[in-house]
Amino acid sequence: MIAAKGLTVGYAGRTVIEGADLSVAPGERLALVGPNGAGKSSLLRAMTGVLAPRAGSVELLGERVEHVPRKKLARAIAVVPEVADLPFAMPVAEVVALGRLPHEPPLTGLRPTDAAAVDGAIERIGISHLRSRDMRELSMGERQLVFIAVAVAQAAPILVLDEPTAHLDIRHQVDVMELLVDLNERDGTTVLAVLHDLALAAHFFPRVVVLADGRIVSDGTPAETLGAARIREVFGVDPALVRLAVGAG
Amino acid sequence: MAAGALARDVEAGGLAAWVRARPLVVGLVVVVALLLTLVLGVGLGSVRVAPAETFAVILSRVFDIDIGVTITPATDVIVWDLRLPRVLTAMLIGCGLAVAGATFQGLLRNPLADPYVLGTASGAAVGAAIAVLLPIQLVVVEFGLLHGLAFAGALASAWLVFRLGGMGGAGGLTRLLLTGYAVGSVLAAVLTMAMYVSGAELRQIFSFLLGGLGGSSWVRLIVAAPLIIGSSLLIMARGRSLDGMLLGDAAAGHLGIDVSRERGILLALASMATAAAVAISGLIGFVGLVVPHVVRLLVGPAAHRVLPISALAGAALLSAADLGARLVGDVPVGVVMALLGSPFFLVLLHRSRSGYEL
Amino acid sequence: MSSSDRRRGVALFVVLVVVLGACSSAGASSSPAASAPMSASPTASAAAVSPSPSPSAAFPITLTDDEGTSVEVAAEPERIVSLTPATTEILFALGAGDRIVATDDGSDYPPEAVALQDVATYASVDVEKVVALEPDLVVAGGLGFTPAESITKLRDLKIPVVVIYAPSVDGVDKDIELLGSATGTTPKATSLTSAMRSDMAAVSAAVAGQSPKPRVFYDVGYDDATGAIYAPAEDSFLAEMVTMAGGDVITTGDPNTYEIPLEKLIEKDPQLIILGTNPFYSPTPDAVAKRRGWDAFTAVRNGDIKPVHDTEITRPGPRLPIGLRTLVSAIWPDVALSAAP
Repeated sequence: MIAAKGLTVGYAGRTVIEGADLSVAPGERLALVGPNGAGKSSLLRAMTGVLAPRAGSVELLGERVEHVPRKKLARAIAVVPEVADLPFAMPVAEVVALGRLPHEPPLTGLRPTDAAAVDGAIERIGISHLRSRDMRELSMGERQLVFIAVAVAQAAPILVLDEPTAHLDIRHQVDVMELLVDLNERDGTTVLAVLHDLALAAHFFPRVVVLADGRIVSDGTPAETLGAARIREVFGVDPALVRLAVGAG
Repeated sequence: MAAGALARDVEAGGLAAWVRARPLVVGLVVVVALLLTLVLGVGLGSVRVAPAETFAVILSRVFDIDIGVTITPATDVIVWDLRLPRVLTAMLIGCGLAVAGATFQGLLRNPLADPYVLGTASGAAVGAAIAVLLPIQLVVVEFGLLHGLAFAGALASAWLVFRLGGMGGAGGLTRLLLTGYAVGSVLAAVLTMAMYVSGAELRQIFSFLLGGLGGSSWVRLIVAAPLIIGSSLLIMARGRSLDGMLLGDAAAGHLGIDVSRERGILLALASMATAAAVAISGLIGFVGLVVPHVVRLLVGPAAHRVLPISALAGAALLSAADLGARLVGDVPVGVVMALLGSPFFLVLLHRSRSGYEL
Repeated sequence: MSSSDRRRGVALFVVLVVVLGACSSAGASSSPAASAPMSASPTASAAAVSPSPSPSAAFPITLTDDEGTSVEVAAEPERIVSLTPATTEILFALGAGDRIVATDDGSDYPPEAVALQDVATYASVDVEKVVALEPDLVVAGGLGFTPAESITKLRDLKIPVVVIYAPSVDGVDKDIELLGSATGTTPKATSLTSAMRSDMAAVSAAVAGQSPKPRVFYDVGYDDATGAIYAPAEDSFLAEMVTMAGGDVITTGDPNTYEIPLEKLIEKDPQLIILGTNPFYSPTPDAVAKRRGWDAFTAVRNGDIKPVHDTEITRPGPRLPIGLRTLVSAIWPDVALSAAP
């Protein structure tokens, strides 16, 4: 569905991703892991059309991402926003409603279908009790859930998440992971998530891509990609620490 | 929103929540206030005009109906040529400044932004000062060199800030704001220099800086109205983009908004409205900063509610303040607004504990 | 465009504006001289048009005011609004006082003027009140005395507004004659100005031969907080009056500045300090003598600090001869003057 071919991406002076080939089929559920600075976020940015590649290409259903009109792209790919500070007080329900922007007609605003999608997203994430609370009063974890709801409300066939569990406690981490599995298996949403927690990646994702120093070093099942040697080599950590969770996957 | 959710909101917050749940009520109240200030503004002034005479003038001028009340030519001029254009101009300026203020606050993601944040105030003032100092008399359709250069100065300064400030994109919004501050400071220094060398013309420059609606006329109203109303309507049409940008540039981009283009367009429209307002009536503060906040406290931050209601509320506020200024004895309108509005604003801030803080 | 180019551009812009400002204010001060000869013509034409004393033949008339604007007065004005104290005095002196319907709040002479309704303050003109009075002539003060916006507003409403200002003593004569034509009282205006001229010439002649002329500092104002000193500007009305009164006038040296630095004043060393007192500024000679650094002046050491009532000296109206006499009695107390006419 979305494919990067020979992708090379960089910022002024630095090359961050070198010659990456990554192909995601519709309905796949894939975790992108790697140490800090490996280029995971940059890879995501390039694949969602935010960062223009230096070499290579990113294609969405065969069309180059930079040629896809913005709104169409937003209807195809939903990216969970970074947890940002809002300048004004805004109730959670209105924030989630922003996820419908790519769908709603510009002048008339939310239609009943949009409102239904918003309510659905709020229910599904389990934040109904927060819907009229001011965003700025919520904890980091609660805010993260709201931003995930925004992307879910967007109801796009592809859902992209960059470290969505960074601020969540273990229970919520598991909840979000289970939600992703649900969205993927029940709704057929293609899920692409950057995770720093190898245990979660191994447990919930059938396909794991390991990125190190701007290159894709491994792409396959958790067992294939997250072997002891790889973990030691890529992450510089004693694999015994991670063995527990990986074994269960 | 589902009815159940609404009921929960009301239970949760009492009166404040009730108000927030009914933006239409707020809108209606504002419209009523606007009509009231229109009526009072035309009926009251430093010269006593009986209500019957006021009606007679308006009916005869607008509908050509004679209701049999004798009107002196002076009364006719006072009501039709002096008061009515002045009240309408006040409404127009209040509307433009409030919408521009709300727009800048949303674009720059900064609650302290006002219409003059990109140096438009200083630019207009310098333009006006240059016009006063130049020994050229130029009048085009009742607009003198002062208005033309104030307008040009405001736009030029906004453009300069926008270009130097990195368009708010990669450089960040902070950079844009700080550039606005820096350019504004340079222009303020130029203005001070101009005032210093101005000698007798100082008074004219100073009265421009204080801001006032004394120069209102039908012609100026007709020329400025399309600029201000047009800009305001075009901004309102892009209200959702403004909302999207609240989440940040990246998120807005992912939601399908062409951030740099929308930002450029909205800044240009808001600067246009501000420049037109400043060119006509000098520097009137307070409206652009406070009205959008008050409206947000009442109806929440969504642009499709904030922008139209701010427009109406700004119009009502400025015309009410101008009426007050006229009745007290031609005090600068900015002073009246700050004196009346600030306490009200403070009360509202103090009251808003139920989560709709600023 | 690199940022240093931009900076240079902005700097150039700033310099340009400052230079423009300096040039234009120099230009502005020369324009009243240009307009003065123009305002002389209506008197000539009025005199040509009406050799008989009948006033109605002089209207309708098109006048050129001191700003060079053409103002049409259709008929002899019966309802006049005066927006400067000097205008009020002039109108009363021309015998048109009973036709004034309103004045500004500064019009305090003659006593009948005080009772007249006020429609203007220092800061603004109440246009509504002016319109309500249905005036057929309004006289405003130039050089920003009456806000330009109010003048424009009144003219937009088809009310004839004549703007006057007098940067020199001659200018006062021209203004009196202009107002004479405007009100149909030209014979009175002519006799008034010639009486003023001859009286002032006589007073001036009485002290012309006196020497040495004392260095006179006319204290216009002083700021206790900053020590700022305000003096007559070069070539100003006030400087001219002091010179006519036989004084060696100390000015700021610049026609556009009213402030003089203390060092400069010390350098000029006034021998006589004249305090122009009015309701807004009336220091005592003792207070003046105590001012920081002022003990360096000959005038302070000798105690030659004289307060005078400044209205007749500074107001460009018909009481200038009185003002001149006041000045002369301060500067040359021993010179006998003929009685005022």
